[in-house]
Amino acid sequence: MTSLSRRAFVTAATASLLAGCGPRPHPAASAAPSAGPPTPGRAPAGAVRALARSVPVRLAIPAIGVDTPVLRLGLAADGSVQVPPVTDHDRAGWYRHSPTPGQVGPSVILGHVTVGAYGDGVFRHLDRLRRGDGIAVRLENGASAGFTVTTVRTVAKAHFPTEAVYGDVDRPELRLITCGGPRTGGGYPDNVIVFAALSGRTS
Amino acid sequence: MRSTVLSATALACAAVLAATVPAFAGGRTASPSPVPTSTTVPSTRPSQAPSAAPTRAASPVPSTAPGRRRGQVAVVPSGAPDTGVVPASRASGPDGGLIGGSAAGALAVGGAAFLVVRRRRATGA
Repeated sequence: MTSLSRRAFVTAATASLLAGCGPRPHPAASAAPSAGPPTPGRAPAGAVRALARSVPVRLAIPAIGVDTPVLRLGLAADGSVQVPPVTDHDRAGWYRHSPTPGQVGPSVILGHVTVGAYGDGVFRHLDRLRRGDGIAVRLENGASAGFTVTTVRTVAKAHFPTEAVYGDVDRPELRLITCGGPRTGGGYPDNVIVFAALSGRTS
Repeated sequence: MRSTVLSATALACAAVLAATVPAFAGGRTASPSPVPTSTTVPSTRPSQAPSAAPTRAASPVPSTAPGRRRGQVAVVPSGAPDTGVVPASRASGPDGGLIGGSAAGALAVGGAAFLVVRRRRATGA
């Protein structure tokens, strides 16, 4: 064998090696789908299955010592949301035109911060809640929906975020609303709104 | 000499063709190797499809589709909720007036009683 033929063989061998590398991208492309599993894996962690419709009967917020029966509230004559009656043993109320807690959508529960001559309301310390705090709602059918606080906002009543509170969402969420801000002779200028998402359930 | 060069070149070309043609044809004829990967594709598909599809389809689709028309909150209230009735300490105006009025009444009754007793004594009872 001459040196030329050797070179020719080397060239041929290199060419065949390079050509052999061609089909390799297929396995690489199949590695892309394998990067997919984290996405499905993440979905179950964040998403808890919604609960069936059932009216809330009790609300517990251990972080601020709340454990109260839940009333049903509708609309007032002026189109605003009803609030619980001003009584000695103040209770929270669920807005009955909103989803029940655990259903997909924003379930709205309201409570007083103060109840006039009776002193503190059931949501007196709602503004002390922090992200990650737990909320438990017991339903009429015996199931229980556990929520985790995601955001606590204090907003001026004049700029109440209607869309953020009552707008559609793609998972079961909870809104707790009371009054807040510096107290004046006429009442409170702000609303404290707690946003929470369903994090657990028992049935 | 020249013939060996030519033959070597021909061999190289043949080798390149032999290597590349099956490589491109690999999508079909060498299907044994891609087919397993295509069988792994279904295996990843099921794991994605059942988990992502039902949860996505179950929650947003039925809820937001009708929700766009009616909304998840059937009737959206107007304005901000009034969930703070000013405490008694602030509302002490009326209460203070009540206390003051009753105190004045008690004083008047006491004064009248004093006058009655004094008059009775003066009349020589």
